[in-house]
This record gives sequence, structure tokens and C-alpha cells, in this order.
Amino acid sequence: MALTLQILLPFFGGFAALLAPRLAGLSERWTTIAVMALTLIVLLLAVVSGDDGRWLAFTRADWAPSFGIQVLLAMDGLSAALLAVSAGLGMICVFISWHVTHRSPLFHAAICWTVAASNGVFLSFDLLILAFFWELMIVPAFLLIALWGHGDREAAAIKFLVFNAVAGLGLLAAVFWMGATSDPITFDAFELARDERSHTAQVLLLLGFAVAFMVKLPVPPFHAWLPDAHTNAPTAGSILLAGLLLKTGAYGLFRFPPLLFPEGLVTLAPWGMALGAFGVVYGAVLACGQTDAKRLVAYTSVAHMSIVLMGVCGGVHFALMGAGVEMIAHAFSSSALFLLIGALQHRTGTRDLRELGGLQKTAPAFATSFALFFAAALAMPGTANFLGEALVITGMFQVNWVLAAIALVSLVVSVVYATRLIGGIVFGEPKPAVQGAHDLYRHELWPIAVLGLCTLLFGLFPQALISVLRPAVEAALTPLLFVQP
Amino acid sequence: MLAYLLLLVPMPSLGGFLLLALDPYRLDRRAVQAAGLAAGCAPLLVIGPLAALHLTGAIGDQVAPIFFINVGNFEVALAMGLDAVSAVAALTVAFVAACVMIYALDYMSYAGTPDLRRFFALMNLFVAGMLSMVLAADSITFFLGWELMGLCSFFLISYNMTSPRAFAAGQKAFLITRIADAALLAGLLLLFLEAGSVRLTELIPAGTVAEPVRGSIIAALLLIGALGKSAQVPFHTWLPTAMAGPTPVSALLHSATMVAAGAVLLARFAPVIEAYPVVAGATAVAGATTALFGAASAVAQTDVKRLLAYSSISQIGYMVAAVGVGAPAVAMAHFVVHAAFKSLLFMAAGVMSHAGGGSTTIDSLRGAARATPIAFICYAAGAASLAGLPFVTAGWWSKEAILASAVVSGPLGAAVWAVALAAAVLTGVYAFRPVLVAAATPATPRRRCREHPLASGPLIVLALLALAGGLAVAPMTTLMGGHPPHPAHWVEIVGAVAALAGLAGSVAVVFVPTLAARVRGARKLRAGLQFDARYYALLVRPYRRLVRRLSGREGAWVDRLGRPPDGATADPVGQATVALGLWLRRVVLTPFSPDRMDIAWMRGAAGIGRAAERGRNLQTGRVRDYALALAVGLAALLILGWGMTWR
Repeated sequence: MALTLQILLPFFGGFAALLAPRLAGLSERWTTIAVMALTLIVLLLAVVSGDDGRWLAFTRADWAPSFGIQVLLAMDGLSAALLAVSAGLGMICVFISWHVTHRSPLFHAAICWTVAASNGVFLSFDLLILAFFWELMIVPAFLLIALWGHGDREAAAIKFLVFNAVAGLGLLAAVFWMGATSDPITFDAFELARDERSHTAQVLLLLGFAVAFMVKLPVPPFHAWLPDAHTNAPTAGSILLAGLLLKTGAYGLFRFPPLLFPEGLVTLAPWGMALGAFGVVYGAVLACGQTDAKRLVAYTSVAHMSIVLMGVCGGVHFALMGAGVEMIAHAFSSSALFLLIGALQHRTGTRDLRELGGLQKTAPAFATSFALFFAAALAMPGTANFLGEALVITGMFQVNWVLAAIALVSLVVSVVYATRLIGGIVFGEPKPAVQGAHDLYRHELWPIAVLGLCTLLFGLFPQALISVLRPAVEAALTPLLFVQP
Repeated sequence: MLAYLLLLVPMPSLGGFLLLALDPYRLDRRAVQAAGLAAGCAPLLVIGPLAALHLTGAIGDQVAPIFFINVGNFEVALAMGLDAVSAVAALTVAFVAACVMIYALDYMSYAGTPDLRRFFALMNLFVAGMLSMVLAADSITFFLGWELMGLCSFFLISYNMTSPRAFAAGQKAFLITRIADAALLAGLLLLFLEAGSVRLTELIPAGTVAEPVRGSIIAALLLIGALGKSAQVPFHTWLPTAMAGPTPVSALLHSATMVAAGAVLLARFAPVIEAYPVVAGATAVAGATTALFGAASAVAQTDVKRLLAYSSISQIGYMVAAVGVGAPAVAMAHFVVHAAFKSLLFMAAGVMSHAGGGSTTIDSLRGAARATPIAFICYAAGAASLAGLPFVTAGWWSKEAILASAVVSGPLGAAVWAVALAAAVLTGVYAFRPVLVAAATPATPRRRCREHPLASGPLIVLALLALAGGLAVAPMTTLMGGHPPHPAHWVEIVGAVAALAGLAGSVAVVFVPTLAARVRGARKLRAGLQFDARYYALLVRPYRRLVRRLSGREGAWVDRLGRPPDGATADPVGQATVALGLWLRRVVLTPFSPDRMDIAWMRGAAGIGRAAERGRNLQTGRVRDYALALAVGLAALLILGWGMTWR
């Protein structure tokens, strides 16, 4: 029940936020916050009262038995961590969007629906339901970009939609194929994992899954939608994109290929790692050339998620653990950077690094926050980002030294783009645009503080995060451990 | 139980950093100074007694676990440890840090320096990072401290945030050291995979018995890490530009402690280096080359801070060479002595140049002996120690030990010794140049300036150490593992002669006009043999070109496909995907566009429409037409009726 609530609460919460102002005179903001808080509390209860075994919680119910469709939700530490991140970021999105007045109820409903759909992805093990949530996720995010974005927002929203919807077809086709060839018909991932499949079929099916996940991740050459979407999205949209949507891709790669296509994965993993290695360097180099602060951070996301891809394909304990940690760490650090840049854009009207500068004089708390997440973007030891990257690199040394060396290049290039970012915004004489920029407001300060604290706590005391991720990592290594309860 | 005090050592500085960075109490200037000073000096109060107890033999080696991380297949234990090397290094760092903090209290208040809070916060964070690095008993804590130092170094070099020059200097330092840090991280991770543990006491033995190629690579990676942080050739270019930071920063980070951390690293991992003769040889060669290169470049400098920066490069070269010839304890002894005299030189130079109006050129020091006699005398003591004047200075004892260790270590060692000896002569030449200039009488006589006791106190203490500290070199070396057997006495005599020859050379360079002109004209040498320009041409410019080629002209307006309008590519890979999609759309849609079924349907519909149009012609509205039709119809009916009834 608790798992179903993780999806239903934000889903209906979205309608509540949409209708509350008109019907009950309640504020849509506080409704959304209450919904997210409730979701978090339910999650906490589910985790606390969870089983000790492979899964913390598990729900199974028939939906359409004649087609073999079930509601099959399962939560382990990895899903729980991502669910917590999604509800938490949902709440933060409300606080930092206090200035949004245009069609505000729909805006907050879209936030809720994004959280609901991505929660669905993080929990579903019925592949048809997974594919449903996968497609559903695009809709509210599309709305957020198209209705509340900046600049050429329609074009960016359509680019986002086309890329992700087309890629979703790969997943859908693979799922249909697997369902149709199973006897009796079922979409239960655990059942399907037991089916015998030829090597070719495994590779083809895995390609279908991988395309969907890699576009969402995104890894070059499928990343073209991300910089545009991030640049033109409102701050909340950027945060949800970086914190949730990208993570669904990483989660999917982490979870399903080892379970469903272990042999296909063995064949394709080297290609995945090579693609990841290319993406790490490509994203980092392009980040160095951006003058738009949000675009810069978007390209760093490409680099960091490529590291996740390397880790996921690495197939050794360290690499997978690193990928898991990097997923969570990136959710905190990139969300915080988007939050800060969004807040800055709201004050100054620009994101252009050449028009910004000198923030340390006019807004010291702002500048200090930038410095903290500057360190996280650099993967400074002590931040969770370093832990993730170091673990992936350790794993890569076990697999292939060349790949490890390429991943290390990203540590070096990160200095160039991170100093460019902080140099353009914080250093220098205050530029005209920055004059009179108000320092962080309280409703911006506490989300930053929470994100910063999470980054440092998980970086300095990683035991909690590592224990939480461990069952998922072990299951990804030995799919036999993936047994259902 | 005593071991747990180790965990407390970096804590005051860390607390000071948090207090000053978050500033929950809105401290005023005085409170900021007090908090920064207290936090910066407190580690000395903890490590002082601990190190004293350890070095006197009252307590043995200590290890204090911090916490354990269970990574599934095994457990990682973070810990801090106290052994001879870490005790000496931590004591040095804490002591120099305390001296610099006291000095900074006066120095940084001169021109009403803005943002004192940031300065003290970062200095304290640095102290915490460096202390956790030297006290680390595992590679994770070690690397944490190591990187924290790099981060603080970046922020402190570009402390003057409005100056683009300072920012560029910080960026350069950060980037170059990060390249080396990436190598170090790789080395540490490989060692970890080799040993299956992060504890240094298990890593190092595992590193010495690794398979030769693998082991050499590990050792080489560690060496690169040390060379980068310690500004050794070919990574040295960041240090002279890093002098853009304030003087206390240069005195603490970029001479005495952080830059020399590479030597600490090498001394810690010395068994790994020595296990692979090729790497050990490379270490010795890199160190000796750097010692000579740094000293030669320092001779040609006209700015006292840059002179001291090249001097640091050169002196740390001695330490690295010492590790290379198999005498890590001697390297550590020189680390301690160098920390004392080099921070002293920087701080004394800072006082003198402040009194002279703020310029840091050597010429502007003229007359400083009259204006700031205490600082001048302290500077002279530091310079004597740097040059290694025989017997009376600490620098002589530690440098002699290095030269002696080189001589006895074989044929390569002899070459290293020769190079290091040449560097020692040059050291004398550049060390005394500022002293002689400062002692000279200026054209316009200068008045005596007031020297604040907060500034001169640390100077006097450090000056005494720089001279008398030589007594501690031998016992210190013995504690940290001893030095190689001593060679014949002629080595010491030659070393002493070298220092004195340097002094004579210095006099010549200052007072013989032709020589002075030659030094002034040595532009290439002054620019450090133009490594910077070469790196710019070979690395920076091609990289920038690559970035520009990939991401389009900076700030170019980007159209819907992410293309800048002038046709330059931006994100070619992403664009290729979009272009492929558009091409696919065209290919797939062309047969159906226009939609042929739709056309057929619409044609059918149009046919019906046309038929209806034609049918309208029947409706003429004329009675005779209708009558005709009626008649024809009636006739037709009649014929039909007649026909149907036909039999």
C-alpha cells in the first residue's frame, strides 16, 4: 500500500493543487508542499517498517489478468533513495518557484505529476506499467518547459518531447515483444527474466531498452535535447530534469539490463563503457566552451551521467556502487547549481557569464553557496560527487586502465569549467547586471543548505548511502539475487 | 586513549573555518581576527605535546580510527596516525601556521584589507586540510587533505577577487596541480586494489612487492602527484604566478607547507619509490634538475616574491632528489628547516616591501636595512640559512646531509651531487642579492618605520630557528629513519666552499656593474626558460581552439538546432543526431506527403461535389422544362406499363 501511495499521492496531489485554489480557497503551493511532505512521511514509514530481505517493500495485484498486466511494485534501497530525492526536490521546487504567478495551480500540478510519474518508474517491475510511466513522465515536464520556460521554449519543449517519446518507443517495442513471446502472457519482470532467450534476441531487446534509457540519461550522441531543455526550462523544470528525469535513465540502466538480459549486457557493456568514456570527455570539453551558465551546467550533467553509464556497464562492485552514489550526488549538486543560476537569472535577467560577475561583493551568501557547489562540481573529496567518481574509476581500473585514464581526464577538465563558472559569476568587479542583486532569500537559503548538507554528509560519512545501495548493487552483479520475495 | 587526541588536531581549524565561513553571529572585525588567530594556533597546542611525547620516546606510534566504511566486499578504515614522520611534519605545519597567523593579524590590517573573514576562514581550512594530510594513516584521509589544500590554494591565490590577474593565477595553479592530483589518485587507487586496504602501513608494503611493470607505474603516478603539488619541473610554472596571493598566503602555502607536501608524500611512500630503481632514478633526476633550474631562474628575478618562489622550487628539488637517492629522512629534515627559513623570508620581505610602499621589486628594497632593521636582520638570517652558510645555519646541516646522501648512493648519485652542488652555488648568489640591495644606501635616505611586535615576533622566533635549528637536524633524521653512512670530509668542505662561493658571487652580481647588467638582461632565464609560453602554445591554445571548434563561437546566438548562424559548429555530435532525425523524417514522410490516400478520398469527395454541381443544372425554374420532363416521364411510365403488361 505504501508503495502505491508513493505514486498515487503525488498524482492526485497534482489534481488537488490544480483545484484547491478554486474549490477550497487553499494555496496551491502549500497543498503541493503538504503532498510532498506526506509522500516523504509515507516513504519513511515504509522504509522503517521494511523487510530485512532483498526488498524493503513489495506490492502485487492483478490489473488486467487476461493480458497479464499487474501492479507490481518493489522497493529496495536504491529506489528508496531515489524516491526520497524526488519528493524532496519536489518540495524544494515549490519554495524556489514562489515568484511564479502565471497559471500557478497548473504549474504546481505539473511538479506533482512529474514526481508521481518518476516515482512510478522507480518502483514498477511490471514492464508495461514501467513503459506507461516512462511515457507519462514526459507530459508534465513538457508542460513545464513549454508554458513557464524562457527564450525559445516551445522549440526546446518539442525537442525534448520528440527525443524522449521516440526513444520511449524502443522500450515499448521491447516490452511488447517480451510480453507477446511469453507464455502465459505476462509483463512481470521477474517472470520474464526466467524465460530462455537467444543471444541475438537478448542483444536486440537490450538495445531497445538501452536507447530509451540512454536518451534520458543522456549520453552523447543522444544528449542534444538536454542543453536546450535545461536552458529554456524554468528553474523548477531544470531541477526536476536534472534531479529526477535523468536519474530515471540511470536507474533503468542500473536495474533492468542485468536482470533481464545478462548475456546481452556482457556483449554490449564494452560499447556502453566506450560510449560513456566518450561522453565524459565530450561533455566536459563542451562545458568549457559555454557562455550560458545553465548550458554549461547542462553539459557537465552530460559528463557526469556518462560516468554513471561507465559505472553501470563496468560490471564490478566498485563501478556499480560508484554509479549509484554518483546518481544521488549529481541529483543534489546539479539541482543546487540550477537553483542558484535560476535565482540569479531572476534577479539579473541574464545567465550570460560575460554579463555577470562580482557577486561576492553584492551577495556574499550567494557567492558562498556557489563556492560550495563549485567544490561539488569539481568532485572535491568530501563531497558525495568525489565518492561516486572515485568508486567508478576504481572499478574501471579493474576492468580497463584506458577507460580509467579517460575518466580521470574528467577530473582535470572539471577544473576548467568549474573555475569558468565561478570566475564568471562570483569573481571580478560587480557588473551592472549584478548591481543591486538581492542576496539569497530565506526560502532559497534553506533548500541550498539542505542540498549542501546532503552533498557533504554523504561525502564524508558515506556508510549510510553505501549500505542503502548495496542490495541493488549486489543484485545487479548476480541477477540470481534478484529473486522476488 | 592518547591516540584519540590526534583526531582533535585539525578540529580547531575546521571549527574556525565553519564559524568564519557561515558567520552565524555576524562577527565584527576584531572578533574575526580573534577567532581566526585562535583557531589557527590551537592545533599547535594539541600536536605540540603529542609530538614532543612521541619524539622523546615517551609514547610509541599511535593510530586513532575515525570510522569504518563497509563497502560490501570489504571494510575501509579511516584513521589518523602518529609516527616520526607525521609527528615532525605536523609539528612543523602547526608551528609555521601559528607564526603566519600571528603575522597576518598585523600584515592583513595594513590597508584595511577587505573581507578578513574570508582570509582567516580559508587559512584555517587550509591548516585543517594540511594537518589531516600529514597525520593521515589511510589513503582516503590523505587524499582528502591533499585536495582540500589545492582548493584553499586556489581561493587564496585569487584572494583579491576583483583582480583578473589573481584569478587567472589561481586557476592556473589549480589546473596544473589537479593534473598531478589525478595521477596521484590513480596511483592511490591502484595501490588500494593491490593491497585491498587503504591503511598506509598495508598499502606501502603491497606497493613494494607489486608486479614490476604495474609497480613502476604506481610509483611513477605517485611521483607525478608529488611533482605537481611541489611545483617541480615540468609542473613548476604555477608557483611563480601564484605569488599574486597575499604575502601570508605565500609564506604559509606556497613556500613552507603546501608546496613542500610533495616531499612529504614522497617521504611517506619512499619504500614504493625505492622498490623500482627506474622510478627512484627519475625522482633523483627530476629533483636535481629542478634544484638547478629553480636556482638559475631565481638569480635572474627582479621581484623578491618571484625570486623566493623559484627558490622554493629549487629547495623542494633538493628534497625530491634526497628521496630519489634513498634518504627520505634527510628530505624530511630539509622540509622542516626549509619551512622555517622560507616562511621567514617571505614574511620579512613582506614587512620590508610594505614599509617601502608596497612594491615587491628587489630594487625597491633599497634602504630597508635602515627603515625596518628587525625585518632586515631576520631576512638576512633566513637568507644565510637558505644559502647554507657553513656551521652557523640550519640550512647548511640539512643541505649537507642531502649532498652527502647523494654522493654515497652510486654513480647516478654522484651526478645528482654535482648538479645539486652547482645549484648550491647559485643559491648563495640569489639568496644574498636582496640582502645586499636592502643594506645599500638609497639615493634618498629613508626614515625608520615602526615595526609592529605582532609582525616581528614570529620573524625573530623563526630567525632563531633558521640559524640554531641545525642542532636538531641530526637527531631528527635519526628519528625518522636515519641517513646513509657519511662520506669523507671533503664532501662537506666542498659544500661549505660552494655556499661561500655563492656569497662571493652575490656580492659580484650586486656590485660589479657589468655582471649586474648581465643578470638584468637575462630575460629568458627570468621567464623561467619560457615554459609558460611553450605550454600556452602547445597545450592551452590548441585546447581552446578545440573547445571553440566544438562549441561554436563564444556566445554566438544559437538557432533551434543548436547551430550558431554563421555556420560554425556547436556541439557537432548533438547536431548530427538532430540532423539524422530530420533526415529520417524527410525520408519517411516524403512518400506520404502529400498523403495519397487522403488525396484519393478528397478526389472522391470532389467528384461527388462536381456531380451535385452538374445536377443543379436540371433545376432551371422554367415551366416548359418541367412540363417537358413531366411529359417525358409520363410517356416513359406509360411505355413501361405497356411493356410490362405485354404478353
